[in-house]
Amino acid sequence: MSDVPFKNPGWAGNTGDFDLTEDQVRGDDFVGTRPKDGGHASGAGAMPYMLASRDPEGPLFEGEYQERFDKILTRYPTKRAALLPALSLAQEIRGHVSPQSMDRVAELLDLSPAYVRGVATFYTMYNKRPVGRHLVQVCTNISCNLCGAEEVLQAFLNYTDAELGETSEDGNFTTIEAECLAACGYPTCVQINSRYYENVTPAEVPKIIEHLKTKGD
Amino acid sequence: MAYPYGSDREARVVSTHFGDPMQRRIDTYVSRGGYGALKKSFEMGPADVVDVVKSSGLRGRGGAGFPTGLKWSFMPKEQTKPHYLLCNADESEPGTFKDRELMRWDPHQLIEGCLIGAYAIHAKHVYIYCRGEFFEANQVLARAVEDAYAKGYAGTDIMGSGNDIDVTVHQGAGAYICGEETGLMNSLEGKRGLPRIKPPFPAASGAFGMPSTINNVETLCAVPHIVSNGGEWYRQWGTEKSPGTKLFCVSGHVRKPGNYELPLGFPLTELIEDVCGGMRDGNALKAVIPGGSSVPIINAEEVGRCSLDYEGCVAVGTMLGCASVIVMDDTTNIVKQVRRMVDFYAHESCGQCTPCREGSSWTAQIMRRIEDGKGAEADLDTLMEMTQQMVGTTICVLSDSVAAPVQSSILKFREDYLALMAAAEPAGVA
Repeated sequence: MSDVPFKNPGWAGNTGDFDLTEDQVRGDDFVGTRPKDGGHASGAGAMPYMLASRDPEGPLFEGEYQERFDKILTRYPTKRAALLPALSLAQEIRGHVSPQSMDRVAELLDLSPAYVRGVATFYTMYNKRPVGRHLVQVCTNISCNLCGAEEVLQAFLNYTDAELGETSEDGNFTTIEAECLAACGYPTCVQINSRYYENVTPAEVPKIIEHLKTKGD
Repeated sequence: MAYPYGSDREARVVSTHFGDPMQRRIDTYVSRGGYGALKKSFEMGPADVVDVVKSSGLRGRGGAGFPTGLKWSFMPKEQTKPHYLLCNADESEPGTFKDRELMRWDPHQLIEGCLIGAYAIHAKHVYIYCRGEFFEANQVLARAVEDAYAKGYAGTDIMGSGNDIDVTVHQGAGAYICGEETGLMNSLEGKRGLPRIKPPFPAASGAFGMPSTINNVETLCAVPHIVSNGGEWYRQWGTEKSPGTKLFCVSGHVRKPGNYELPLGFPLTELIEDVCGGMRDGNALKAVIPGGSSVPIINAEEVGRCSLDYEGCVAVGTMLGCASVIVMDDTTNIVKQVRRMVDFYAHESCGQCTPCREGSSWTAQIMRRIEDGKGAEADLDTLMEMTQQMVGTTICVLSDSVAAPVQSSILKFREDYLALMAAAEPAGVA
């Protein structure tokens, strides 16, 4: 984990006054990963759902995922309130939210399929169609833009050899423009699946891509 | 400790432990006095907690600056139906990056603030609506809440006091408008994040139709410190009307961008020159947006007169907002940056109100035309007139946020617009 070959203060503060290892920032001792069953019900609805490994045909709401779904339902006074967490769960398993997934969610929560589609399409984080193994979201909003975000975006497109919003031929990368990711002090900020890469310059883009290809995350 | 940079001008209250991974552990947090304020609150009683927050003069840190104690006092005193406390952690105002740091470096501080707030307003359940993109913050927070339950600081009979308060971390799914309080409530309920018409105000009918109060992350993080040390203690910083400290998120063309916690009323020039190490590459300052992309831009002359508190910003024709200071040097193409902000609002408009839905995308189109060198001076009049119709005519203030950068930039940097027109090819039609 700590051998990431580029500086990344968002995860490991090796610039400025403070020095942290990546393990200290996101290792198991301090953050770690959440269990598939959601752990304690209080946080069961707050799980990373942009993952590299996905199964587009995977069964929804079974086993540990069913457990998590049941925990989520206990936290709200209405069933409808579980809609966003349920859609997130579907995307975590399948990588995108297909019409079939939405119908299944609608059925489980006693909502109409049309309603669920209306809600799902309102939110940008639900991928309505499959994306590459790595969804690269480059912030081009003002603070990053002032510091060269457009060159970073272009570099990702060049090095992955794909058009904006399209998936590269090897199925690895989909690059899109993102709105402010709230890391404005560390421009340019790039979110790749569940992880933030900060202070990214165009020169570092090939290193990040190589890192993703070899380490997977 | 500082993260990623520090300054000896800072007055750290909520950001004391930024950059210290140990602070995320509940044992460390408790050994440093954590959850002491919660215990003290239970001894004081809800009314006294509201009073101490009122006496501190703490104002909402999410942008509007509404007095927090007063907001809490609007909640019904008797609990005839469930009350809810909502924590607005859907930080997405361009230029703002404080709440994410607060959550990922000091999650228990926020949880303790939430529990005290819930106790003060007779709520039995707190929802922390955390922005969906913040997977790391979500994980840190979920783990911290889990630990708080395990150690008896959340759930039933907290610390043997007989008080029951549940905390749930709720993850958003990517929509700027869910940072608007009633939009957030709709989103929490599993609906599209469309803002609601007020009244009814949240204290009467909020989340799930029940009395609710909504506070920003930074506001709730300050609460444990105020309860522990008293209202007067908090007033040692800041001004009479804007007491206390505030996290300033500085981004753009400065040498040391980052979060700095400073007393309110701090001079903007000193923030840039002293705290942030001055302008990048020694360039001259051109413009600053002091409160996130929704507030008017100010020019270098106004920067010199601006003190960073709620009133000081109004005095130079802008707003403090959430204190997201975006600094631009003289290499900046203002038209391009304003166009980028307008594109953002056009994308994020929820589409309920016509002036915003249509106005934001028309504005974006005209801005794009000017940036491409195909604009005419009359376009500026159109922009001014159109954005004027977008102010105060919609359910929420997203529409007003489109107008702010457009109008202020045309008034203050008109020559930048005209320069793009002068460079344009003459139109084909005479």
